[in-house]
Amino acid sequence: MTLLRVEDVHKSYGDEEVLKGVSFEMDRGDVDVLMGPSGSGKSTMLRCINRLTEIDSGDVWLDGTPVYGPDTDVNELRQDVGMVFQDFNLFAHLTALENVTLGLKRVLGVPEAEATDRAADHLAQVGLAAQTDSYPAELSGGQQQRVGIARALAMEPKLMLFDEPTSALDPELVGEVVEVMRDLAERGMTMLVVSHEMGFARSAADDIHFLDSGRIVESGPPEQLFQRPEHDRTNEFLTGLQSNGH
Amino acid sequence: MSAEEPSVADEVRTTVTVDTDRPWALVGLAAFWGWLLVRWTNDFLLPDGMAFPSEQSFFPAAPFSAAAESLGATAASLGLVGAPLDVLAGLLGFVAGAIPSLPALARGAWLTILLTVAGIAFGFVLAVPLSVARVYGGRGLRWLSLSYTELIRGTPLLAQLFVLYFGLPLTQIIREVPGVGVGFVPATAVWVAIIGFTLNSAAYQAEYIRSALESVDVGQLTAARSIGLSKVDGIRYVVLPQGLRYAIPGWSNELVYLIKYSSLAAFITVRELFFQAESIANDTFRYTELFVLAALFYLALVVSASLLMNLVEERTSVPGIGGKRQA
Ligand SMILES: Nc1ncnc2c1ncn2[C@@H]1O[C@H](COP(=O)(O)OP(=O)(O)OP(=O)(O)O)[C@@H](O)[C@H]1O
Ligand SMILES: [Mg+2]
Repeated sequence: MTLLRVEDVHKSYGDEEVLKGVSFEMDRGDVDVLMGPSGSGKSTMLRCINRLTEIDSGDVWLDGTPVYGPDTDVNELRQDVGMVFQDFNLFAHLTALENVTLGLKRVLGVPEAEATDRAADHLAQVGLAAQTDSYPAELSGGQQQRVGIARALAMEPKLMLFDEPTSALDPELVGEVVEVMRDLAERGMTMLVVSHEMGFARSAADDIHFLDSGRIVESGPPEQLFQRPEHDRTNEFLTGLQSNGH
Repeated sequence: MSAEEPSVADEVRTTVTVDTDRPWALVGLAAFWGWLLVRWTNDFLLPDGMAFPSEQSFFPAAPFSAAAESLGATAASLGLVGAPLDVLAGLLGFVAGAIPSLPALARGAWLTILLTVAGIAFGFVLAVPLSVARVYGGRGLRWLSLSYTELIRGTPLLAQLFVLYFGLPLTQIIREVPGVGVGFVPATAVWVAIIGFTLNSAAYQAEYIRSALESVDVGQLTAARSIGLSKVDGIRYVVLPQGLRYAIPGWSNELVYLIKYSSLAAFITVRELFFQAESIANDTFRYTELFVLAALFYLALVVSASLLMNLVEERTSVPGIGGKRQA
């Protein structure tokens, strides 16, 4: 069953067309990875799905709802789409627990005590039961990113977007975040992940989309894309990635 | 009271830091505040029959002047060697001269503090929406907020007070309000001054808060919106709590400035600290003594304010935001 449908999405910043007609679909429970060179439009594509950025033309549907429909309330839409950021963006003045309860209390209207319980559960799920009272500045990058994942999960989204969740991390901290993401994938979460983590892509992805200069050049399951890419551009990019030690 | 004295209102407000790491300063401040509180309780709260006469100082001046006189005589007889004694005699003479003016200055200090605290607090209430409008508002709101802060910051505070006091029918309106000037309720001119300081301080505070808001990473609001918070809620729950912490040092400066600038209220007849000092000086011709004394009062208030703001900064800091500059 289709959960996300992206259809012929165009987006320009000034004269620069960043997305030149992107289309793809994800079923419920799918894990898709978006790869592509810097500046190819990966972040822009993700942000167009929860309307942090508005598209110029095309269509996006989430679970049958037109994301850009005239009656769609963006704040309600965003409850269904969790987002995890490259540089974490944890609320700096709040503890790990408060980072997770804020949305529960202020968006969903969950009472304080219940919000605390639920947030504690989500933090435990990402392995941070002992860090609930720590402030972001007191956490390692890997821990911060896991709080970021818990914060998004707490809204019980239908879809999770990850924008290079491990690329700001020291290499030795990548594993703990990938672990949490893999666990999430196994629990059936629908995930669209911008990442160049070959290990994660190979083991968890259903489909990989290769984005180049605003177009999806090639899509397919990891074994197909990694072993026999159809396009030279894909091959070139993946070879480059591998030789960079990914 | 003349308006010809050089106006200091359009001076650039710059950073003031007070080193608070001195125990004797704390002892002095504690004595100062203890005395002020007792004085106010006596003058404002106790019924006339029970109270110490409100014009009379708690401390007798006579022993000090007597001591000053005898020390002075000793010093004179010693010649050059007596110079240090002479200084001490001068100091005692100053104290003796100061003591009779203390009750009036305590009453003036009450108004100075009232004006400052009200100006800062009400100004803050206006400054938050002004600064939010400036950073997050649409074109129209941004323009309005900018115009207001430029107008206020570009004109002298004294001129603003004069416009409010003499230029607008504000005084007539306030005078009509029942209760004004009765008992604890301040008189008309005080209200005008509070309005003036509020409007003025709002503009300065808005500038401090604006730059603090701008220093909050944009990713914070993006993350807030990504979990479904509206823009207003994102600003309220995520950006402002951080921005206001960043604004505390600037805010401390504003408080210190307002304490000193509140003396301009004297020009619209508010009987605050400076007014009291000047009117006693005019009666007694002891200008130097009274202005030095008033300066000491202002200094005590300013140092207290800095201590208080340091405490606020410490109490509100969380790891990574505010407080002592840390790693
Ligand atoms: N807000 C913006 N205003 C103007 N141009 C933008 C904006 N956001 C992105 N761009 C431009 O759009 C293009 C695509 O950016 P985007 O961030 O989507 O790329 P990306 O594939 O995520 O790159 P990276 O791997 O470096 O994160 C870039 O040329 C970028 O400069
Ligand atoms: Mg990007």
